[in-house]
Amino acid sequence: MFSWIRWWGLIVFAVIFGGGAAFFIFAAGPLAKLSIEKVGTMVNGALVEVDSASVTFNPLGLKVKGLQVTDAKEPMRNTLELDQAVAELELAPLLIGKGIIRELSVDGLEFGTPRKRSGAVEKPKKEKKDDKPNAIQKALSNVEVPSAKEIIANEQLTTDNAGKAFKESYETNKKIIDEKLDAVPDESALKAYEDEIKAITSGKIESIEDFQKRKAQLDDLKKRFKQDQEAIAEARQAVKTGREEISTALKELKDAPGNDLAAIRDKYQLNAGGAANLTATLFGSEAGDMAAKALHWYEIVKPYLASSGDDDETVKEEKRVRDSGRYVHFATNDPWPSALLRHSHMTAAVSAGLISIEAKDLTHEPKVLGRPALVDVEGVELHSMDSVTANLVFDHTKKPGKDSLKLNIVNWQPVDFKLGMGDIKLTSAKVQIKADANVVRGQLEAQGDADFGQAGFVGGGKTFVEKELGLALKNIKEFNVHADAKGRVALPKVSISSDLDRQLSAAFKQRLNAKQDELEAELKQELNARLEKALGDHADVLTELQQVEGGLDAKLDKLKDMASSELKDFKQQQEEEAKAKAQQKADEEKDALKSKAKDKFKKLF
Amino acid sequence: MLSILAKLLKALNSEASPSQISLAVCFALIMALTPLLSWHNAIVLLLALVIKVNLSAFIVSLGLFSLLAWFVDPYSASLGEQILTAPGLQETWTSLYQIDFLRITKFNHTLVMGGLVVSLIAFLPVFFLCRFLVVQYRAKLLAWVEKLWIAKLIKGSKFYRIYQAIAS
Repeated sequence: MFSWIRWWGLIVFAVIFGGGAAFFIFAAGPLAKLSIEKVGTMVNGALVEVDSASVTFNPLGLKVKGLQVTDAKEPMRNTLELDQAVAELELAPLLIGKGIIRELSVDGLEFGTPRKRSGAVEKPKKEKKDDKPNAIQKALSNVEVPSAKEIIANEQLTTDNAGKAFKESYETNKKIIDEKLDAVPDESALKAYEDEIKAITSGKIESIEDFQKRKAQLDDLKKRFKQDQEAIAEARQAVKTGREEISTALKELKDAPGNDLAAIRDKYQLNAGGAANLTATLFGSEAGDMAAKALHWYEIVKPYLASSGDDDETVKEEKRVRDSGRYVHFATNDPWPSALLRHSHMTAAVSAGLISIEAKDLTHEPKVLGRPALVDVEGVELHSMDSVTANLVFDHTKKPGKDSLKLNIVNWQPVDFKLGMGDIKLTSAKVQIKADANVVRGQLEAQGDADFGQAGFVGGGKTFVEKELGLALKNIKEFNVHADAKGRVALPKVSISSDLDRQLSAAFKQRLNAKQDELEAELKQELNARLEKALGDHADVLTELQQVEGGLDAKLDKLKDMASSELKDFKQQQEEEAKAKAQQKADEEKDALKSKAKDKFKKLF
Repeated sequence: MLSILAKLLKALNSEASPSQISLAVCFALIMALTPLLSWHNAIVLLLALVIKVNLSAFIVSLGLFSLLAWFVDPYSASLGEQILTAPGLQETWTSLYQIDFLRITKFNHTLVMGGLVVSLIAFLPVFFLCRFLVVQYRAKLLAWVEKLWIAKLIKGSKFYRIYQAIAS
């Protein structure tokens, strides 16, 4: 029977598998270190470093020492750092390539530790996001109040432009009017006309030659009258046009200070609206940063926790071999996903003290496992709050997957909590925070309430708003802040509201109104000065023009009167003489007829 | 260097009876038609190494059947799917699934199950077919092949002379 046995084949087989085992023993550690560093750095976007990684045999597992995960936004700071992590692996699943960690123990976990060298892996970003003022800060920065003179010096005022336009209009029209007025006969010329007319029309016309001579003189005079009338009409039209144009320019000039004041008021937002969302400015920045960090890490971790929760990722769960084949999973109390962290418990030092973190059933194949992943965080030795609990549930065992967070903080006592404006700080308070967040199909719906009691604020700032806000906050002892976030996880729509706004806005409004009145008075004064300067000596130009127009009308009337009345008198004289002659003739004829009639009667009787 | 290679080749080409060659081909068939990194293949490899089969035939067949597997795999996987999801077998599979050792065999993988079933069904037919072909080849084709210029070229090489010396 042994003739069929090839003994050296047994040795070859032992060498093949022994070699594999030896490779696993010696190379697994360095390979794990390399993988953690390479993959970690790629996912994190900043350096992930491991001092050493080695395989342990009793129990079977992997030990990682000195893990540092750089904060991608602050390369000189670690997001987290740990002294040692030991992952206890299950052998049976490992034999078919499934990494199931029965227990992960972590020692010396710390967050936000400084680094000795930069952990940046790419060129520094052009601008730190933190340095950019948010929209609310931008809006409120406009509430900064410079002096009236500074505002007027920096603004493009319509008063100045209108003043220039008025001056141009005045000078242009004045030139035209002066030219036209030069052609108009003055008072002495009119007197001369009167004398001439009198000379022509007075006295008896001696003969036909005399009449023709006088008529020629009168016709000549009439021509001159006509020319003068045209000159007066042109001058009158020029004055009228000038008056209208100057009137428009003057109206615009007089309206300009009011318009400027309105524009300045709008621009510098001297109203309580600027204080309407102060809470968002005060707390939004800090809360926003924390939320942004949480969401950033959620976005990174999510694909590894919920790959089987989505339709398009179902295929990934069904591991393909040579483009075909899949694992068929049957009901069991001990399912084996491709990667699983069954349990981990660790304590971490954070600024608030020590926190305990317990994780269960973390896997990217939750459908195979059939249980949601859980992460529970609880405060252990806290010095700035009585208690904190956070419960995270990543449930992708059925469609649609749901990730949820519940956070509860009792009696948080912030110390010198810097707020989002100036150097205003919340020096003391007792804060109760409750928040919950859910993510379903990539849509976030979160809300949180923070009740502040025994609040104490210090500080103010350089700007008007910061100073006033600092003063207003000193009188506020209790307030609440409510925050809502809805929409896509990457870009949720966040709203922050608070009764602090109401309290602040009352105090703020009063101070703003006083400041606004004061500033507006100064602005008005400055603008009026500009108006006066623009008007100069031409304030009564319209009255003057009106008088000129009136004078021209009078001259025109007088000229018309002179021309028509004197000529009319001359005709009348001729007619009267003719009439008198005719009357005389008629009377004479009448008398003759009467005499004749008398004679006939005498003869009859 | 040539001596070492010749010795290796001699070792591989020993056990050259038709049955030893056919058995090697059948072992290769199982390994090729199922995912290579499966524990049952470790057993097959152990058998191929320990039982006196022709290792050259085993290696060459493994390569050839692996090429064939690219075309056969989808059908094997489909068969495995039907077997593993057959309602009448669910209870059996579920109870087997509770045993860690069996789960390590990846029996719940459709390609492992389908490929193994196909290769086991084909095992005996392939064995006898292969044995028949080897016998027929040696009887009818070997003399003709030895006359081919390529065979002459190989036989005239230094390496072949060393191989012959070691083999005899």
